[in-house]
Order: sequence, then structure tokens, then C-alpha cells
Amino acid sequence: MVKQRNMWAIIFLFFPLAIYTVFVIMPLLSSFYYSFTDWNGFNPNFSWVGFDNYLKITTDPTFLNAIKNTSIWMAAAIIVPSGFGLMIALILQRKIWGANFFKSLFYLPICLSLAVIGQVWIWIYHPDLGLLNLTLNFLHLSFLTDAWLSDPNTALFAVIVAWCWQQIGLAMVIFLSGLTSIPQELIEAAEIDGANYWQSLWRVIIPLLSPATVVVIALAIINSLKSFDVVYIMTKGGPFHSSDTLAMMMYNESFQKYYIGYGSAVSVVLFLIAMIVIAFYFRQVRELEHLYD
Amino acid sequence: MIKNTTNQTISSQEVEKEPSRFLHLSQQGLLYLALIVILVIYTIPGLGVLLTSFKTDTEISMEGLWNLPHALRFDNYVNAWTSGDVAIYTRNSFLVTIPATFCSILLGILAGYVFSKLAFKGSEYVFIFVIAGLFFPPQIILIPLFQLFNKIGLYDTIWPMIIVHTAFGLPICTLIMRNYFSAIPIAIREAAIIDGANEAQILTRIMLPVSLPAVAVLATLQFTWIWNDFLYPIIFTRSVQARTIMVGLISLQGQYSVAWGEQGAMAVIASIPTLLVFVFFQRYFIQGLTLGAVKG
Repeated sequence: MVKQRNMWAIIFLFFPLAIYTVFVIMPLLSSFYYSFTDWNGFNPNFSWVGFDNYLKITTDPTFLNAIKNTSIWMAAAIIVPSGFGLMIALILQRKIWGANFFKSLFYLPICLSLAVIGQVWIWIYHPDLGLLNLTLNFLHLSFLTDAWLSDPNTALFAVIVAWCWQQIGLAMVIFLSGLTSIPQELIEAAEIDGANYWQSLWRVIIPLLSPATVVVIALAIINSLKSFDVVYIMTKGGPFHSSDTLAMMMYNESFQKYYIGYGSAVSVVLFLIAMIVIAFYFRQVRELEHLYD
Repeated sequence: MIKNTTNQTISSQEVEKEPSRFLHLSQQGLLYLALIVILVIYTIPGLGVLLTSFKTDTEISMEGLWNLPHALRFDNYVNAWTSGDVAIYTRNSFLVTIPATFCSILLGILAGYVFSKLAFKGSEYVFIFVIAGLFFPPQIILIPLFQLFNKIGLYDTIWPMIIVHTAFGLPICTLIMRNYFSAIPIAIREAAIIDGANEAQILTRIMLPVSLPAVAVLATLQFTWIWNDFLYPIIFTRSVQARTIMVGLISLQGQYSVAWGEQGAMAVIASIPTLLVFVFFQRYFIQGLTLGAVKG
């Protein structure tokens, strides 16, 4: 009986595990291996260079700049979509007329591709025809207008705003599901004790939302590490690397310059940062679980 | 975990009494005002692309991108579809998305069933090994896969996208299927075994029919992610014959004399399939986002 069960387990697991191992795990390990070589992708004779690529990274201004930009991105990703997402979720969680209709509209950007979103925001930022500059001119604020995407000072922020626009809906979905799991009695108890809305928001709702908040923040960090499509479409990391992210730099080094070894090292760094974030995430989740026991 | 929706309906009834306590009528009005202002700003980007797609290029150069079109013209759509390569890109997108969605869910069903109902000694470690893939940034597998597909002659075909989406979709499919199967009482399986059924029959005739909501959740999620993907086609393809519509979008990009209207039409065409999925399966889509939030 048990034997037969195990036989079926092997039959069922064979294809999933084979495909996962060949196309995810083995490439992952190969990337680690390549990151210790000086391979250029074509020459079959490449050599083991130890930690050279990693040492080079620490002094490469392009990499340090990409790290800086990715950190800015991450900070924005943690604050902006979760802030707006929470605000809208708190409004829509009330029984108001048309709440479901509003929810649908706010969710909508999640199902759009970042390729489409990037395209739309290029039009918003267009120096002559873009909505942003037109609005600023209309408000007699012409001195604020800018060629947003070709100005190195604003390109990164312009791209981040477009990206955050999509992420708001995602944060909102998670906060809404978190809000519905808060026991209503606790809020009512706070009211009976004389708390006003803001007090019960800060003292009751937000603390009880922390499991959702942890998910939103972990997601924001992981997604910001992956940010590539929207950068590629809007600026390709330019001008002068001013909107480069780690993912974008990895693409440039590996698939434009064919520095396979070096590009692999960048991807390993990206991977390790993601793993550190996830480790924190699970520790946090476990602590929160204790909290509710 | 899947029971989220029932929770939602229950607690929204509970919330009903809340506004009267917290909000006066004027506050209620303010709330609506705030909501509508936020919503208008929020939907502008989407409206912009719709407006542009109905305008002629002369209209755009005369009056800008953001005025209302003079007439509801579908010229841009017709042009994009017939003169450009939009038809090929769209076909490729379907040829990638449908098989990859199907295969990743199929594999997820098999693996999820084992981890929930056929657990063996050490299977929880195998499960963690699979689930870990949820958190890998895709950049870590690109270079070796690019080399591999190049070597076996699949570079610049639609196959790499199908294969990689299937493999990389396995973690989320396994996770959601396992959780759903775990909620089905084990007694059902044991009764079927006594009746002489084998595991394949139990899975296809008993477990799967009751797990269709989970399959629907995965189908909407996977379809949307795979359809919208931009990274894999950029890396693994080069020619129109193999590229999907998301990469096709940027083929109209480039010089300053852009065909704005056509580009707008193409962006709308590219978004229609996922919008339809969203409109008709929103419940599953939202459920999936909360369940598989970790993937995003």
C-alpha cells in the first residue's frame, strides 16, 4: 500500500521536478559558476578568475550607481504604493455606494503590462505634447516643465512614478483582504472606550494590519529588484546611466556587451539581495504568527 | 486559504453599520470627493492611450495628445492590424501564453497533489525546494538559459518562452494547488482506494473536479503574467516571427516621428486579452493575487 503510494508520488513528481531542475535550478547554479569566470559568451577557452568579478563590482561606478538607483527605487516602492494603497483600501472598505465598481477601477492597472504602462507614461512625460508639461503650462507653472525622461536629474523618478502607479492596486488588494480579517468587535470596543476614528486607525487597525503590511513591503522590495521592463521601455537606463537599475545593468553587461562572467556576478548579487529580503520576511511572518497564538 | 471570498461577504455586512458611527453626511461627501479626485488622476494614463488610439496623426500634431478625438475612428486599429506585424505578434502571444498556462497548471496539479495527499518521508523538503522558486529574480537564470537555447537551436523561436514560463510558473501553481487539495478531507481518498481506484483516477475523477476554483485562480493569474511578460521575449527572441506583442509594442518606438495613433491602437490591442480575463474572472484574479501575493 505504502509502496504503491510512493510509486505514484514518483510518477507524479517526475515531470514537474525534471523541468524545474533543468530550467530553473541548473541555470541558477550555472550563473554562480559563470560569475567566477571571465567568459565572454563566445570563446570556448575561458578561465576561472575566482572573486575577480566581485572585486571589480565594488569599484565599478556603473554598479555602484545601479545599487544607489535600486535602493532609491526600493525606498519609493516601500512608501508610495503602500501609502496610497492603504489609503484607498481604508476608503473602499467602508460600505459606500459603488465600492465594488471603484475597486475594479483601482485594480485594473495590475492586469496591464508594464510594457503598455511604460508607453503611456512616455506620452505623459513628452516634452511638447505630454500631459504633465501641458498641465504645468496651464497652471502658469511653466518654469517647472522639463524634458522629464531625458533629464538625468528626473529620469529615474519619472520611471519610478510610472511603476508605482501600477503597484498601488496590488498593495490595495492585499490591504483590503487584511482589513476584512480584522475582527469588527475590536474596533467597536475601541469606540466604546471613546476612541475617535484616527485613534482607532492608529492604535487598532494599523497594528492589526501588520501581517498584510509585511506582505506588501516584502513584495515591494522583491518587485523593485526585478524592475526591468519599465526601465527598458522608458529610458533603457539612460541618460548617462541615470536611471539604471541592477536588473537593467545585468541586461546591458550580459546581452549588450557580452561580459557573461561579469553580468553573472551582477545577477548573483541581485539573487542574494532577494534571498536576504525573503529570509527577513519569513522571520517576520513567524514572529507575527507567535503574536496571534 | 481559498475561503477568502466568503470572509469578505460576511465582514462587508458587518462593516455596514460602521459609517453611521464614524461619519456624518458632510464627511461622507468629502470622502466621495476625495475618492473621485483620486480616481480621475488614477485613470488618466489609461484614458490617454484610448483617446490617442482614435485620433489621426494630423489631429495629434495639430492639437496634441490629450484632446478629445473629433470622431470615433478605427483607422489606427485597422492600420496596425493590416500593415504592421501586429497580427503575427498577437498570434505568437497566444501560441506562448495558452500552452505555457496549461502546462504550468498541469505540472502544479501533479506536484501539489503529491505534497498534499501522497506525502512521503522528506517530501516537505522537496516542497520547500520547489516553493523557493517563487522568490528567485528571473535574472539569475537568463544567461545559462540563453546559452542553452542557443546551443539546441531554439533561440529565436517561441519555445524558450513556453518552456521557461512553464518551469518558472511551477512554484506558484504547486503552492496554490497543494493548499487547495489539503482542504479536501483525506477520507474521500481512502474510500476511493477501498473501491479499487488508483491515484491517477482519484486525482482526475475526485480531486480535480472539486478543485476547479483553484484551477481558475491559477489560469487567470498565469495567463495575465505570461501574456504581459516582456523580459523573456527580449532575451530569447530577435525576429518578428518569434516575438510576442509586448515586445512588438516597442518596434514602433524609436524616432521622433512616431506613429502615435497606431502605437496607441497597438497598446490597446495588446491589453484586450488580459482586460477581458480581468472583467470576466475578476473574482479569481483578485483571490489569486492575495494567495500568490509573494509572486506579484
